[in-house]
Amino acid sequence: MKFLPLIFKNAFRKKTRTLLTIGSIVLPLLVICLMGTFLKALEAPDPRASRGSFRLVVRHRVSIMSTLPTAFEERVRQLPGVEAVSDFSFFSGQYRDKSARNFFARAAVDSETLLKVFDDAEIVEGSARGWREDRTGCIVGKNLATKYGWKVGDRVVLVGDVFPTTLELTIRGVYYLENGTSATLFFDRRILDERFPSFKGSASTIWIKAKDAAASERLGPAIDAMFENSPYPTKTETENAFRNGMVSMLGNVKLLMTAIGAVIVLVILLIAANTMAMAARERVTEIAVFRTLGFQKSTILGLVLGESVLIAIASGVFGILLFVAAQPPLRRLLLSSPMSSLAATFHLYPEVLTLAFALAVGIGVLAGLVPALRSASRSIVDGLRQVA
Amino acid sequence: MSAAVPLVRIESLVKQYTRDTQVLTVLDNLSFTVDDGDFVALMGPSGSGKTTLLNLIAGIDRPTSGRILVGDKEVSSMSEAALAKWRSANVGFIFQLYNLVPVLTAFENVELPLLLTNLSRARRRKQTELALSVVGLTDRMDHYPRQLSGGQEQRVAIARAIATDPKLLVADEPTGDLDAKSGEEILVLMERLNSEFKKTIVIVTHDPKAASRAHRLVHLDKGVLKEDVHAERGKAVGMAAAISASST
Repeated sequence: MKFLPLIFKNAFRKKTRTLLTIGSIVLPLLVICLMGTFLKALEAPDPRASRGSFRLVVRHRVSIMSTLPTAFEERVRQLPGVEAVSDFSFFSGQYRDKSARNFFARAAVDSETLLKVFDDAEIVEGSARGWREDRTGCIVGKNLATKYGWKVGDRVVLVGDVFPTTLELTIRGVYYLENGTSATLFFDRRILDERFPSFKGSASTIWIKAKDAAASERLGPAIDAMFENSPYPTKTETENAFRNGMVSMLGNVKLLMTAIGAVIVLVILLIAANTMAMAARERVTEIAVFRTLGFQKSTILGLVLGESVLIAIASGVFGILLFVAAQPPLRRLLLSSPMSSLAATFHLYPEVLTLAFALAVGIGVLAGLVPALRSASRSIVDGLRQVA
Repeated sequence: MSAAVPLVRIESLVKQYTRDTQVLTVLDNLSFTVDDGDFVALMGPSGSGKTTLLNLIAGIDRPTSGRILVGDKEVSSMSEAALAKWRSANVGFIFQLYNLVPVLTAFENVELPLLLTNLSRARRRKQTELALSVVGLTDRMDHYPRQLSGGQEQRVAIARAIATDPKLLVADEPTGDLDAKSGEEILVLMERLNSEFKKTIVIVTHDPKAASRAHRLVHLDKGVLKEDVHAERGKAVGMAAAISASST
């Protein structure tokens, strides 16, 4: 402890360099926190309890692009533990233009049953009844309405691509999901059924609201077993797993992020190691003087290493505090992005913050180790000679 | 008159450096003693082995062969860790370029060697203040090296060297980087440390004025002892000047 002031003074001997080093660790650490949280958000169970939970999604085993017959719905509905069933077909196309900025999820649904499955959705403007009564009506998520300044009665024009048609929809309601995924536009599937008779009777996915956790667990294998030998074998998974699968369609997100994370850690390590090596090189004589005074090699090792670790700890603490402060705006940003569904589980994970801090400390140790060992093992006479 | 007790005993000391394939003998079979309480000046031309000898006496370098005993300890055979511990308690080192830590105040610089002891903070403070008072710098204890003159920096370095109250002080050209006035102040201070505080002092110097303060002049040339003169104060000036002249 008595060496701590010395370590502190040495660490901040060249303030600009130390602050730049801290900055070079803090910013990548922020990215690591962000990616770690993103990965955790992908893996985290849906936090919605009772009302909104226990949802399952059934899709074609081969691909989400292959449809399922809506006739399956009735068979699924008969299974014990099923509370509600609805179908859900994605409508790809564009709103305003093709830019990612204007991309949001749109789905053709059964307006009679959708809100039974999404029983946690609250209609905050307009009404579900108004939507059900207007075949060209739609409901939009609150975040989406906020983003575009939509209100009930506004017209939304969607130009389809897989379904080559233009939809002119009237907003009849604005829904809100407590934990954040209020960023989808739902319209009545009967519009598509009428315009594309071949589509009638099919859906991208079937959504199920199970009675409880036990039923949720049981239903997945039961449904898949039921349709195993049909021309439409299914894959049933929890809403969370389904959601993650959708994100994973971007590629092996987890692997990609882990790889990027590893590269970032390596880069910080090199930067920090270079700084520490520089700091130690500049003080060769000083370290020789310390040893002349009687400082043991181990103490020198501790002093140089301590300096590196102190800078790393300062970076770690600062980086984590910055991420904690940035989390709410990041979450808001996520809500208005195509991955808004992740917002529900995008919160602060202690394990991610701990990992980030441990990484910072680890970087400090590794970066300081070589300069510390070199400083400690250099001969005193050689060190003193560098004065001349 | 009582017989002097040797504090430093050097026996058949050899120090060689190997550069590529060449073996360079810096000290060649050197033997002499330094009495307890003595003030010895090592003189000689550049490359004569003065600094090497000083480093060996201070235990920061190791001989190729021979023995160095300081008190009852054979420093030439100590382990590195034991040597570091021994140095912290028994030797004070004064450098030509002061070698103060720039980010530490005068007080903190002097306190440095005391951090290696088990003294309490209060006791460390007391001892540091005492060392600074000996060199007359208690009013500058919160100043950083950059805020001190060269002479003051060297006095802080001397305070650091005596902070642990070692028996032996070694100084390598302690006035070499100072103007005449500051150099004189340092020499007066070293004389005082020798006479009043009974420190045994070994200095390396080219400066006849500095050497004249010593009780004994040891003249080295090409690693061997050329002359070893015990001198009265008045005579020493002339001898040192003569050695210095012969060295150039």
